[in-house]
Amino acid sequence: MASAQTALDLLVLTVLDRRGPLHGYGIASSIEDLSAEALRIDEGSLYPALHRMEEIGWITASWTVTENKRRARIYQLTRAGKKQLASETERWTNFSVGVARVLRHA
Amino acid sequence: MSFFSRLKNALHPTRLDHELLDEMQDHLDRRAAALREQGLSPSEAATQAAKRFGNATLLREQSRGFRLSGTLESTLQDVRYAARGMRKTPAFAITAILSLALAIGANTAIYSIVDAALLRPLPVPEPDRLFTLSTPGVQEPGRAEPASKRENFNYPLYKQFRATAGDSARLALFSNVGNQMTELQIPDANAPIEKATRQFVSGEAFDILKVPPALGRVFTGEEDRIPWGHPVAVVSYDYWTRRFQSDPQIVGKRLYIPPRGTFTIIGVAQKGFFGVEPGRFIDIWLPAMMYSKASFDDLGWNWFRIVGRFAPGVAAPQLQPRLQPILRDWTQQWINHFPTMPPAIKNQFLEAQLRVRPGRAGVSAFRDTFARPLWIVLAVAAGILLIACANIASLLLARSTARASEMAMRISLGAGRSRLIRQLLTESLLLSILAGALGWILAIVTAPALIAMLSTQNDPVKFALAMDTRVLFFCVLVSTVAAVFFGLLPAWQASGAQPMLELRGMPARSGKLRWGQFFVGVQVAFAFCLIVAGAGFLFTLKNLFAVNLGFAPHNVSMFMIGVAGLSDMTQRPQLNVFLDEFQKRVAAIPGIESAATAQWELFDAPQIGAQVIVPGKPLPDREEIFGSVSPGYFGALKTPLLAGRDFEQRDRLITTGPGPAIVNQALARAYFPGENPIGKIFQVPNEQSLVDRVIIGLVADSAFGSLRLAPQPIAYGVIRGTNRFELYVRSPLELGAVVKLVDGAVESIGYRTRIMSVTTLDTLIGDTLLREKLLAGIGGVFAFLGLFLAAIGLFGLLNYSVVRRTKEIGIRAALGARPPALVYLVLKDMLNMIAGGLIVGLAASLALMTFVRSLLFGIRPLDPLVITTAAAVFFAAAFIAGGLPASRAASIDPMVALRHE
Repeated sequence: MASAQTALDLLVLTVLDRRGPLHGYGIASSIEDLSAEALRIDEGSLYPALHRMEEIGWITASWTVTENKRRARIYQLTRAGKKQLASETERWTNFSVGVARVLRHA
Repeated sequence: MSFFSRLKNALHPTRLDHELLDEMQDHLDRRAAALREQGLSPSEAATQAAKRFGNATLLREQSRGFRLSGTLESTLQDVRYAARGMRKTPAFAITAILSLALAIGANTAIYSIVDAALLRPLPVPEPDRLFTLSTPGVQEPGRAEPASKRENFNYPLYKQFRATAGDSARLALFSNVGNQMTELQIPDANAPIEKATRQFVSGEAFDILKVPPALGRVFTGEEDRIPWGHPVAVVSYDYWTRRFQSDPQIVGKRLYIPPRGTFTIIGVAQKGFFGVEPGRFIDIWLPAMMYSKASFDDLGWNWFRIVGRFAPGVAAPQLQPRLQPILRDWTQQWINHFPTMPPAIKNQFLEAQLRVRPGRAGVSAFRDTFARPLWIVLAVAAGILLIACANIASLLLARSTARASEMAMRISLGAGRSRLIRQLLTESLLLSILAGALGWILAIVTAPALIAMLSTQNDPVKFALAMDTRVLFFCVLVSTVAAVFFGLLPAWQASGAQPMLELRGMPARSGKLRWGQFFVGVQVAFAFCLIVAGAGFLFTLKNLFAVNLGFAPHNVSMFMIGVAGLSDMTQRPQLNVFLDEFQKRVAAIPGIESAATAQWELFDAPQIGAQVIVPGKPLPDREEIFGSVSPGYFGALKTPLLAGRDFEQRDRLITTGPGPAIVNQALARAYFPGENPIGKIFQVPNEQSLVDRVIIGLVADSAFGSLRLAPQPIAYGVIRGTNRFELYVRSPLELGAVVKLVDGAVESIGYRTRIMSVTTLDTLIGDTLLREKLLAGIGGVFAFLGLFLAAIGLFGLLNYSVVRRTKEIGIRAALGARPPALVYLVLKDMLNMIAGGLIVGLAASLALMTFVRSLLFGIRPLDPLVITTAAAVFFAAAFIAGGLPASRAASIDPMVALRHE
């Protein structure tokens, strides 16, 4: 199933995979940049998703002090997260290929 | 996240809140900074960042949920919040908690009795493998009340059952304890005569039930051999601790139990084992072989119940066919002793099927009498609980109106509906938990008092009233269900507040009032039902007390007298003289009006029945009551002698010709219709022959066993010498003084005469009405309680509706409506509210009264008197409840009301 929730999960996991450890704001900006602002989500809704995935164990978080001496919560992909990303990517690709085919031939 | 960090989060909610706040604030700051770089002004950037972020509070709530992985922390927060809310509205909290505590307490107390008396299995291993034996009752034609099942068996039949059952089941014998305690003496301690409950059991009884000794040993099959050859006893753990202070040297101590002799205590039964009859605690067990010698060969001496245990793999369907032929053979043999037995009854005996019934809860005479009343009382208590719940629900609804703006505020600050419902339900749960705890205490205090209501001096009822986990579980369950019941709807209503309307001060929607009306309707319906039931039971009791007894019970005390110095068998002439002399002495005491003796204790006597055979007429198909009384008995009881003469002392000396008899009107009507019964002869079967009786007197009908029955035919004979009899004394003095006077007479007459028990006729009559008193007492109290709660609910809703309509009423007043018209307005509102509930309540009470019909007396299910009384009481309460809001409406000042907004 490709719900909005799994889509957001997939985006977050991908960003963390490509760009390494990031704080919430960084993840939100990355998604925006990468999708060329095509995906505008309520930025806040990222946080429940992050905390949920943290609870499941796909990502971990820790408080660090950043470049400009500010406290930030940095998220990082776990091994389970990588696995989840791999399988979800594959399913997502299959799904979008399928949808594209229907759109083309219907 | 580990469990510990979750717990840490739960215990330090503020820390988690700070973390979440920090993280999100960090995001907002960064976004604002980025926006500023794009050229927005600082304030614009902040606004824009917040807008892009979304509903921060709601998101934080969601995140918090994940971070706690559950509800631990939010529950604690809810509880804290609920406690604060309750402290802020103490009147509401106290009303709700108290009414709910009463209801929960009542339910728990009654359930604990129902559990102990009806549901709980015997405290032995594998109670489900136990069974009892019984046969259906034999219905005498012309008797209104249904015959009760026969559970008592005789020794010859038991021996055959036991042999036939063989490997498939083991059968144990438990003698009938009846309601008399036994006298005994502990010779070692040089103690006076005391009383205890004793039971005869077969040797293997303990082994079959799997009850081990706590000390010493219990009986074995060895104790089943020689009649009067096993003078040993086992005492109960309870008796051992109570009477012997848990003496570790108990084994070998002796008990003197007249007239059987001295018994040696061989052991103490396992702790908690009280016998096989819930409601009765056995103190001392004796081997069945120590019962009367004559009983072991007597086919008609039914003196015990049989409780058995199936062998593995055996059940009732296999056992019953094996035992049935034995029962039939015995019946055939036994019935030959009664050549005059009417065919209708004979056939019932011959066709009787042995019943093998589950015995997990033991055998209980108490259960037969009280099972139905107890269930009814529990249902009534459940009704109270429902009323209390509906009451709190409507209070909560009213409160939710008051809290509408608070809810609206919380919603607009981002609280989700489910979160609000959860929080409001927590408040309900907190209420019900507090009420449950209070109710638990209430139950512990009141349950023993309730049992005392069921006990009589002669028939002490005692239960293993363990307020244990079963009962606690029930209490918690009731509390929780109650909380959900009364909390859910108001919570749903309140959490549906619409912020925009509420915050602008728009009036609440009318939905709330509609639900309020629904809850008031529920209360009205149940309260009305309870009032009808309470009134029904109270009228029943009143009707029973008004029954024409046929004698004057007041000022009559009764003494059971034992004469140890004269033998029943060999010294009858001396006993005859003694009896007359004793009666004369007691009657001569100043302060005593009259005295008489009889063989029976009215209302508490085993019914001695025999056929009344009139020569030349067909054999009767029923048996009548026979009793032996002294000269002067009817005078002492003030039973009118209508014709003929009373007994005289010489009557008992008549040895040739028919013995004299006095009969009551019912007997004369049944056997000598339209004739003068004086001088008529009838016959009574005695063993294989018939004995003639001549009627010398006719007395008025009188009550005998139960007040519910129409007068039954009774034949009286003259009492003969006996060393145990009942003395009836009529005296205006109080009981204590009478006892002293009689005691003096007993002391002076010799023959080791003594008073064995004392009671009054009024007490005995009262004791036959225990069920009715229980139902009337509890029914009355609960009806009052239910009415009170419903009145509070009604008052609350009316008051609320008046407040809501202040403006409208003000306009009416300004337009010239007089106060009576305004009062009428409110009362009309009230009638609308209760009309529906009343109709449902009326219908339900009709069903209820039909269901309990067998417990009513002199009242029909739809009795105009009861319904009218109930309606009068109800409306009186309703108008009191409605009066205050109505007078408030009447006194509304138009000017103030219109400025109300």
